[in-house]
Formats: sequence, structure tokens, C-alpha cells
Amino acid sequence: MREPKQSNQSVSDGKNGERIQQFIPPEGVPIALAIASLGSRLGAQILDIILTALVILVCALAIVFTGGLPTNATTILIILLGFLLRTPYYVLSELIWNGRTLGKRITGIRVINVDGRRLTPHQVTARNLMKEVEIFTPVGLLFTIGSQSALEAWLTVLWLLAVVIVPLANRRRQRIGDMIAGTLVVDNPRSVLLSDLALTAPAAQSSQPAFEFLPEHLDIYGKYELQTLEDVLRDTTKKPNTEEIVKIVRTITRRIRYEEPVKPGQELTFLNEFYRAQREHLESLKLFGKARENKYHEHTKTEARKLV
Amino acid sequence: MTDLRIDPRIDSGATLHAGGPNDLLRSARFRLEREAHWRQLDGLVTRAEKGGAAALTYDEVRNLAAGYRQAMNSLSVARDISLDRALVAYLESLCARAYLVVYAPQESLGGLMSRLLLRGIPQAVRRSALPLFIGFLALVLGAFAGYRLCSSDPSWFYTFVPPGMADLRTPDASADYLRSTIYGNERHEGDGLAAFSAFLFSHNTGIAVLIFALGVFMSVPSFILTFYNGLILGAFFAMFRQKGLGYDVFAWLSIHGVTELAAISIACAGGAGLGLAVLLPGARTRGDALRHQAHDAVKLAILAALMLVVAAFIEGFLRQLVQDPIWRLTIGWGMGVFWVGWLLLGGREGKASRGTAQ
Repeated sequence: MREPKQSNQSVSDGKNGERIQQFIPPEGVPIALAIASLGSRLGAQILDIILTALVILVCALAIVFTGGLPTNATTILIILLGFLLRTPYYVLSELIWNGRTLGKRITGIRVINVDGRRLTPHQVTARNLMKEVEIFTPVGLLFTIGSQSALEAWLTVLWLLAVVIVPLANRRRQRIGDMIAGTLVVDNPRSVLLSDLALTAPAAQSSQPAFEFLPEHLDIYGKYELQTLEDVLRDTTKKPNTEEIVKIVRTITRRIRYEEPVKPGQELTFLNEFYRAQREHLESLKLFGKARENKYHEHTKTEARKLV
Repeated sequence: MTDLRIDPRIDSGATLHAGGPNDLLRSARFRLEREAHWRQLDGLVTRAEKGGAAALTYDEVRNLAAGYRQAMNSLSVARDISLDRALVAYLESLCARAYLVVYAPQESLGGLMSRLLLRGIPQAVRRSALPLFIGFLALVLGAFAGYRLCSSDPSWFYTFVPPGMADLRTPDASADYLRSTIYGNERHEGDGLAAFSAFLFSHNTGIAVLIFALGVFMSVPSFILTFYNGLILGAFFAMFRQKGLGYDVFAWLSIHGVTELAAISIACAGGAGLGLAVLLPGARTRGDALRHQAHDAVKLAILAALMLVVAAFIEGFLRQLVQDPIWRLTIGWGMGVFWVGWLLLGGREGKASRGTAQ
């Protein structure tokens, strides 16, 4: 059984270099979500700033050109607008679209609650209030760095460094606001259901399998090798009989001591059938509680015996 | 509803097993039996993602919730019996998407706002007496110190007040000029004054936000910034006072200042609350205490922002229109009474209902 782990130990590295957060919804079944890269978060932030600046510009022009208001009131209105389109914009958009501002929608990321509940208004407000300290103020100071004294310039640089280092330094890439609010920015999950290889394999349809595998043939490999083979078979760019496929077949037959020769042109059929047989074998082992992670299972078993 | 119910007995695949010429893998059978339901859920989730849950009919929403739980169930079974990585990955992302749709915030914005205004903010204010005391104390001490220092030696004024903010209002200016800034007529320097009040507003929001957010560092920066704001205030007041304009400037400051300075103190209180949580976490860990205190602090920050917006409106429209000091005092302190009344009386519940709510 899986223990509901402490949330800060639940980050692991995915296969494409992304970080995976094991996220436990109220139903108690952990779901893996990819933590958003800093690049896409930066992109979303820049898009948001551009969008809000555009809105302010358009509104300001509209107010100025329609006229009718005294200068004083006009200035105040424009400054109020600038104020409303900062933190309140982020809070309201993340509330309405469940953790997505316009920029986040475009870059395909979203905010979630770390502890698996729904995102609360408090969290959204807290994380975006901190944005003022983490992003707007230091960036604003950066623009005026020319007119600052040496000490002020150093302080600005230090501030920016501190803000940048925090999300780089923790495994979940949370900025300070995320930590205070208990939120996390993840990639929007996308789901594509690929076909089942055990069904679509060409030989599975024919009643007579072309290759016969004995239990000792299937006792070598584990889950890792099976799923690597799955990746190879799903890779549509690989044509049958390429050098790579032939090499894989040769390696497998040598490793499992498969006696019969595989005829040229039959390689892909062999791999498909081997995949099916191996999966059936490993799945039934797993049902009986003997999950095999990889081909070193014999080794780990003897290691364990030695320890005892 | 019933069309989504999945027969939990895996044995139902036995007929398939016996009938088919090729015996299917157990995991493949598991997938074949449920795939239609997953795809149905997928369709519902896709529509809900595009148009929100409002895009679905009543029955579809029910199916979505039921389908979500079934998919979760399938996912946990699939992890145990299937080594097909594509299947587990699909189920995982499907469940994640369905989760995000099912557990979306359910409250309307209007409901949220009214709850915040009627109950959340006043209750948070009443809970944070100590931080509020610190916030107002910082401002009052600052103002007092500024006033005393500038009264004894006007050159302190140049130390405290940044030149951009003072404009031409320095101790060297004539009493007539200073009077004209208080009862400003837009004719001769309207633009300058408009820019000044705009500057003040953006200055004050910036200060308030900084004061609030820097409170995490053990309240000290919040206290210092608020104290400094008080110093400026005291210096200004002392300068006008020496020219015999004490009453007039008091009225001029009151009309928006009561709201604005209270907002700054409240922002400071929010920051101080966070700092206190770090300094004196009590039985909690520091992180927990900070997170707990953040609930009230965020509400104080929202209140401060709200008051700043109101102050900006008063400053932008009323201050130029209302010239009589009596009216300026009435409006300014009337707003003060309104804030106090709202914060002290709002969101009170009967003792019985409070007992059950806790």
C-alpha cells in the first residue's frame, strides 16, 4: 500500500527532466502532476504584464480623449486603474478561472493547492499579494537603477537575487508567495489514450502465435525493461528491419537464451509477441505480490538474503 | 447516471475470455471494459474545461462526479494490475483533469465579496488587536517625534521629507504660499497639485504594500516604515503650525488623511501580525504560525487597499471641491467613524451561533 507521504518528500524526477509532484486528492489516490518549468512561469508573467499594460493604455487613452473630467480626477482614475490591474487582476482571474490568469492559460500552466483540496480565495490572495514584493517592486526598482546610489543599486540587485534564488533553490519551484499560501504551479495535464499494444500487435489477432516463449525466457526482465520496450514499439518513427530493431532483437534473444532464430523481416512481430508474453508473465507475478522492478531482481534477492 | 456505472466484477470479462479465440491479458480486458466510460468522462471534462461547469446540464454534472470517482478507482486498480504505461499515464492525466474540474472553487464572486465585507474583515480586525496597536503606535510615535524635532529645529524637515514629496512646501516658503496649497485653486497651480496628489496615492499604495509584505522580517521593517511615514506627517504639521496654519492643515489632512493614514497603519498591522507569528509562534512551528496568521493579515491588507482606494477618491474629487475647514473635518472624521463602526460592529453573531461555528 502507498503511504500518504509528507508533501515535501513527494517530488521526484520525471523521465524528461521535469519534476513530478505526487499529489493526493481527497479520494486518496495519488496523482502525478508535472511541476511547471520556470520558463513557462516567466513567460506567463510577462504575458500578463503586457496584457494589463495594454488594457491600462487603452483605458487611459479613452479617458483622456473623451475628456469631460478635470485633470486631477483623470490622473487619479488612471492611477486607480493601474492599481486595480495589478494584484486584484491576478487574484480575480485566478479565482474565476481556477488558478489561471490569461498568461497562464496561454502558456498552459495553473495554480493548485498543495494539500489536495480545492484552491481557496485566501491562498490566491496571499500568493498574489506577495507578487508585489517579489516581482513588481524589485523590477520597478531595476528600471530606476540608473538614478540610484551605489548602496541602493546593490540592495536592488540583492533583492532581485533573493527573489530569483528561492524558486531555483527548492525542488517544487515555489516562490515565497507559493510557500506562504501553500500553492504550487503545475503544467495543465493533457491526456491522450494510446492503443493497447497487447491488443494491436499484429500477431495477437492471428490464432497461432509465431513465437513460443517458455517461463525461463520470461524470468529475466522486469518492469523497467518491459516499459522501455513499450516505448520502442510505440515510437512510430522506427521502421521494421532498421538496424536498431535488429540489434534489440539480437540483444533480447541472447539475454533470454532464445534458441530459435528470428527470420529477417520477423523482428517486429517477435518484439510485439515478446512484449505481450513478458507483460502477461510480469502482471501475473505482480498479482501474486512478486513485482519485478528491473532485470536486477535476482541480484537484489540474493543481496537481501545476504543481509539476513 | 446509470450509464456510467461500471460493473465492478472483473469476472464479467470471463465470457469474453471464453468466447474469444485469443485469451486477452487481464489488464487488457480491464481496459476494454472501461474504456468507453473513460472516454465519456474525457468528453465531459473537455467541455467543462472550455466553458466551465455551467456548460454542462444537471445530469452531466452528476455523471462527471460519478465518472471522476470511477476513474480514480480505475487508476488505483490499474496501478496494481497493469504494466501498460500508456494506460496508467492516460488515467493519471484524465483523473488530474477531472479533479481540477470537480474541485474548482464553487463560490460566486459576489458571495465571496459580501462574506468578506460583512464578516471576514471585521472579525479579522477584532482578532488582531495587538498588531493594530503596534501599527497605530508606530504612526503616532513617528508623528510625535517628527513634530517635536521640527518644532525645535525646522532644518530637520529637509532630513525627513523627500524633496519630490515636499514640492515647494518647505519651511522657507511664505505663509501665503502655504495657505494657497491648502486652499488650492486650480487656476494657478492646478496641474502641479493634481500631479502631487496622484504621486501621493501611488506613493502610499506602494508604501502600504511594502509595509505589509516586509512584516515577515519580524515586523521591524514595517514598524520603521510606518514610523518614518509618521515622521513626515509630523514634520509637515510642525512646519504649517509655525506659520500659524495649524488648524487649516489639520482640516486639509483630515479629509483624506484619516482614511489614508489608518490604511497605512492597518497595512503595518498586517505586516506586524506576520512578524509576530515568526517571532512568537507559540505552540506551532514558525511556518505553521505564519500560515495561520496570514489568514488575518491578508484580510487586513485587503482592508488597507480598500481604504486607500476610498482615500484616493476623496483626495481626487472632494479635497478640491470642499474648501471649508469645518466640512473637511466633518467628512474626514465622519469617514473615520464609519470605518470604526463597520469594523467594530460588523459580523457580530449571537453567542449560540458562534459556539457552533467554532
